Amino acid sequence: MNKVTTIFLVLIALVILSAMAAVTFGPADIDSAELISCLVGSCQNQIANIVIWQVRIPRVLVALVAGMGLAIAGAILQNTTRNPLADPYLFGIVSGAGLGATIANISLADNLTVALPLAAFLGALFSVIIVVFIAKVLQRMEQLLLAGVAVSFMLGSITQFILYFGEPFATNRVIFWLMGSLARVEMANFYVIASVLIVAIVTVIAVHRQIDALLLGDESAASLGVDVDKLRLLMLGICAALTATIVAYCGGIGFVGLMIPHIVRQLIGVTTLKLIIGSALIGAIFLIWVDVIARSSLPHAEIPIGIITSALGSIFFLFIMYRSRAIT
Amino acid sequence: MSTLLNISQLSWQVQNKAILQNINFNVRKGEVIGIIGPNGAGKTSLLRCITNQNNILASTNVTGSVQLKNRAITQYSAKEVAQHFALVMQKNDTIFALSVQDVMKMGLLPHKTLFSLDSDHDKAQINLALKKVGLEQALHHSFNQLSGGEQQRVLIARALVQASQVLILDEPTNHLDVFYQHQVLQLVNKLNITVIMTVHDLNLASLYCQRLLLLNQGQLICDGSPEEVLTPKQLSQVFGLPCQQSVDAMTGATQVSFYLPETDEHHSRFSESVDE
Repeated sequence: MNKVTTIFLVLIALVILSAMAAVTFGPADIDSAELISCLVGSCQNQIANIVIWQVRIPRVLVALVAGMGLAIAGAILQNTTRNPLADPYLFGIVSGAGLGATIANISLADNLTVALPLAAFLGALFSVIIVVFIAKVLQRMEQLLLAGVAVSFMLGSITQFILYFGEPFATNRVIFWLMGSLARVEMANFYVIASVLIVAIVTVIAVHRQIDALLLGDESAASLGVDVDKLRLLMLGICAALTATIVAYCGGIGFVGLMIPHIVRQLIGVTTLKLIIGSALIGAIFLIWVDVIARSSLPHAEIPIGIITSALGSIFFLFIMYRSRAIT
Repeated sequence: MSTLLNISQLSWQVQNKAILQNINFNVRKGEVIGIIGPNGAGKTSLLRCITNQNNILASTNVTGSVQLKNRAITQYSAKEVAQHFALVMQKNDTIFALSVQDVMKMGLLPHKTLFSLDSDHDKAQINLALKKVGLEQALHHSFNQLSGGEQQRVLIARALVQASQVLILDEPTNHLDVFYQHQVLQLVNKLNITVIMTVHDLNLASLYCQRLLLLNQGQLICDGSPEEVLTPKQLSQVFGLPCQQSVDAMTGATQVSFYLPETDEHHSRFSESVDE
């Protein structure tokens, strides 16, 4: 336990340092003395003040909570389904959000700042309801994942159908949105994501033993007094709310939920409490730095963040496959 | 010995097939009971009803009652049931790298509230239970890398942490070699708690259980000591094979042996399966 506590303390320090360091990156030229004076509220340069407080800090904070949320959603799904490859994407949550965003873009182009996140959220919830309904009918866990994949493809094809016949301008917007970006986030987004995140973390910590009990099978968990169906439904709902909120503001950011818990299992442990805290911290560090790469690696443009996470994620998985092949 | 469990007129019907038919028996505190019978006799189903798994007693297919300490088990919450009964299932594999300690902590669950963390007392309890099964040094080992016998012992230790009243085991010696079969059953036998288990091997059941329940086609055929239950007449009827009873010279326990008569029909089937 001592070793784990040390790792957590180091990670917390790294989260804080990463967030502070990330604020120094950006196209506007602000030196560190100016940065510090703006942070403590004695800023001389009004433009620097606005850039730091209204652009960079909200963005870094959203990256922090979005990284936490996506990693936690993956971790929860993996432990409750006993499948290390479970991910919000596999449950159709992101494709549902994509469909919602598409419909909003095509039909309500006037008021997108409110309509787009709302429609994405509703689309994500819609897909989860379908997946859960199918799983309820089938009553098999392996098939819950397959149902998610099927629903994901189904909603994806509807989205593509609409885009294909849609107005090119709206289509472009949706495609860029699906690639993921933190360029347009505001402080208000941070508060919304952070509140959902807090509810999710508190709930998971409350039932962490119940989730652990699932790791040796449903029958074993039921014999320990766990209402398996109810617990799984609750956790699926939490993951859906978390992912839907994040996707609604930030678009599609893949692989975080798959990759981060994998690292945490190797580094810290597999039981829920360790996995959740570890995933939150490493997920935050990861997304803060990926966003720094997204906004500072090209001179006059940003790279959509989802492109970077997917590229890193796929390389990461090939590496894992290569390494496990070497072991066995 | 006081009566702990009372099973009366228990029947379970699925479509037109009777899985259990009018089962009646009592379990006294401290008894070690083996449930024996052919495949599909209803052994595991009986265990499920006794522990009211998935609230099965509330289903319309099930009639009769199970009482724990003179109160219907359906009146206990799932958590309370888990505080009285600990189950050791047949299959317990996980793809995640759980440590023995992680598995043991699951046993604390029925005694914990939401948000609770592990106390020093919990850790002491876990160590004590592992010591009872002879695995105190394995606390930080990976559960998946233990042998089948060691995994079974860890699960029995988990059951000890979970509930000290009744231990329920479903085929605890499945997939174990002869050494581990005896080791696990001897351990179970010496725990000094009430044990109800299904056992395939009749001679092991006879050696380690004080009392046997013989089931066939959902009916309780016989309930008594191994000597009373394992009679050639009853066993040959239930298993469809001629049978002989003897007393083992080494252990003094009642033992049975079966043989397949070499009638033409049987003989041809037998030789085919050998050829494979």
